[in-house]
Amino acid sequence: MNRRRAALFALLSACGAALIVPGARAAAVDDLLKRYGEEGAANFSADAGEQFFDRPFVEAKSGEPRKCSLCHTTDLKRTGKHATTGKAIEPLAPSVNPKRLTDVRDIEKWLTRNCKWTLGRECTPQEKGDVLLMIKGR
Amino acid sequence: MQTSIASDASQPHPVRIWDLPTRLFHWMLVAAFAAQWLTQDDARLLDYHVFAGYLIGTLLLLRVLWGFVGTRYARFRSFAFGPRDGWRHLRALLAGRHERHLGHNPAGTWSIFGLLVLGLVTVATGILTLGGAKQLGPLRGLIGYARGDTLALVHKYLAWSMLVLVALHLVGVLLASRAERENLTVSMVIGTKHSTATVDGVPAAAPVALILLLVVAAGAWVYFRGYFHSQPDHPYLPFTLAPLAQNAAWQKECAGCHLDYHPSILPARSWDALLREQHEHFGEDLDLDDNSVQALQQYALSQPAESHVTPLAWKIDATTPVQEVPLRVTETGYWKRRHKDLSTADWNRTKRFACEGCHLDAAAGTFLPGAIHVGTPRTAVGGIK
Repeated sequence: MNRRRAALFALLSACGAALIVPGARAAAVDDLLKRYGEEGAANFSADAGEQFFDRPFVEAKSGEPRKCSLCHTTDLKRTGKHATTGKAIEPLAPSVNPKRLTDVRDIEKWLTRNCKWTLGRECTPQEKGDVLLMIKGR
Repeated sequence: MQTSIASDASQPHPVRIWDLPTRLFHWMLVAAFAAQWLTQDDARLLDYHVFAGYLIGTLLLLRVLWGFVGTRYARFRSFAFGPRDGWRHLRALLAGRHERHLGHNPAGTWSIFGLLVLGLVTVATGILTLGGAKQLGPLRGLIGYARGDTLALVHKYLAWSMLVLVALHLVGVLLASRAERENLTVSMVIGTKHSTATVDGVPAAAPVALILLLVVAAGAWVYFRGYFHSQPDHPYLPFTLAPLAQNAAWQKECAGCHLDYHPSILPARSWDALLREQHEHFGEDLDLDDNSVQALQQYALSQPAESHVTPLAWKIDATTPVQEVPLRVTETGYWKRRHKDLSTADWNRTKRFACEGCHLDAAAGTFLPGAIHVGTPRTAVGGIK
């Protein structure tokens, strides 16, 4: 592909993403919130999600402190850092990272993986819904 | 430009025996040979070792040429002594009856021819070893990994034989210097020996020496020029392989959290175990769905260590006992052996960067010699900060 065609392709993809991605995000989050509602959660609150995101937990075996913001930082528009491997974590805020919150399966995978590591258990539907709502607004 | 010194014949006077190219050859060979012992068996310095090997090979070939077209004492004809002459000379020297030769004496001839032949064979086995054990260099692919490892041993024994011959040469120089009351090492530096007879010295052949120097300098520049363009985020790597296959699922699911460990660093059974135990992945529940696991499995098993796509893959496969299932490359005996000299300070400083703390090509998965910078943690490579 020559340079001009590559540029055109990138431009068209960006336009396409701009149209499709926000729709996909709204659909994915709505989908999950609805499911969490069916599991008993209600009145999702972005404020509660923000508090939860910085709430400290203690790892049972090692006693080391853990919280969501340990890796993601409290400013979701910034690049985070994996606590054990040091690998950079792309920002969670959809406003700077439009790929976020567009795939239901992906969101669930990360929530399961990261809740278990951070809290030592899976998050409740309420906790998950609050956090999702908070992230979506960033 | 014949230097003719015809002064009082009874007074010892200096006569040029060794022309400039011969002396330059001798001392460059000394330097390159010393470099080989300093760089041997160190993956970090392999490109210097290989360069010094090419240098030795070139020097020896040019010396052979000079043996036919050079000045009088540099020509093979002037020291075409057989082994029997050498033995007789040696016995005479040890008995205190040293017969003086202005050029190479019959015993010294042994070390010349011995080192020429041994040197050329050592260089040849070195290039073959590089092409086999590492699948690098001009002869890559000519022989396999296993045969390359065998040749590495041959290369080593030949190098040791050269060292023994060098030691004998030094003893010979010492004994002959004493017998002749002339420092022969100095003669090899300044080119002259003392003679009471009326002897024609040889020309310095300075232009040829200049050409030799230029050839070596140009070769060094061509070989090392990449280092001048090296940048922190695009470091120059002296050795490269064809890029290894990458995989989108692997990039997303594995390299999302840690270094993109290439499947070739562990055997297939290890990847099997790692994916089977994905719910307890070093303290994390990966919660991968079946489709993802299948995609990852397919990719991992397409080029595990057994695929021998890199020299590291070959070593891991060849040295890990089949009953062992290492879940980290650091659990393998090969890794431990190769890193046993890594100081605790260096390890502590670099371990949080995983392999990338030292291996510049870790994310590419090639783990080649020459791409190792110990103790200089790098940032922004593969996203690790």
